[in-house]
Amino acid sequence: MLLFRSEAHVDRWLAGRDKGAVVPITKLAELADAWWSDRLSPHWQPHTREQNQAILEGLGLTGRFWRLG
Amino acid sequence: MDELDLTIRRATYRRFVELGRAPTVEDVAAPLGVEANVVGAAWRRLHDAHALVLDDAGEIRMANPFAARPTDFRVDARGSSWFANCAWDAFGIGAALHADSAFDTHCPDCGETLHVRVRDGKPDDASLIFHVLVPAAQWWNDIGFT
Repeated sequence: MLLFRSEAHVDRWLAGRDKGAVVPITKLAELADAWWSDRLSPHWQPHTREQNQAILEGLGLTGRFWRLG
Repeated sequence: MDELDLTIRRATYRRFVELGRAPTVEDVAAPLGVEANVVGAAWRRLHDAHALVLDDAGEIRMANPFAARPTDFRVDARGSSWFANCAWDAFGIGAALHADSAFDTHCPDCGETLHVRVRDGKPDDASLIFHVLVPAAQWWNDIGFT
């Protein structure tokens, strides 16, 4: 889960290996906020798989690649 | 997850933030007034529940988004700094602290230093790209690689 200068840099780095998912950094910031913002809360409870899947779907991260195990 | 495990998890995260590094079992046990082995056993259950990640010695490796080991994501926020496990977690530290943050990392392709400043939850350079290599269903197969 790394940051790249651009998608062209991702492609060059992969050198023919299978590509995963590319996400604009602005969406990554939204994802991190939704995923982690309660992590230090005194009222934190574990996220269920369904809760985490809903976070992904709410940001348009759908499809087989984003299906949690 | 029972109340004891939640209490120890909460103390573990609080100490990680305070210390700027992963706490030891003693760092967590002392303020709670419990024996170190109580913390160690709780950490093992939290590890099994994916609430934190232990190394082979039973020490904290990750209390996501915080990383115990040095990485290419050293995040500054609130006048302190912590290592993050990956780019997602680098944003996660600011999100967890509810604070503006900043970190430098390197493009794995060209090696260029990427300076990321996050204010009010938004990165100041919107041109960068996040790449996730491993499909979500496999993230916990090898969380270190993911």
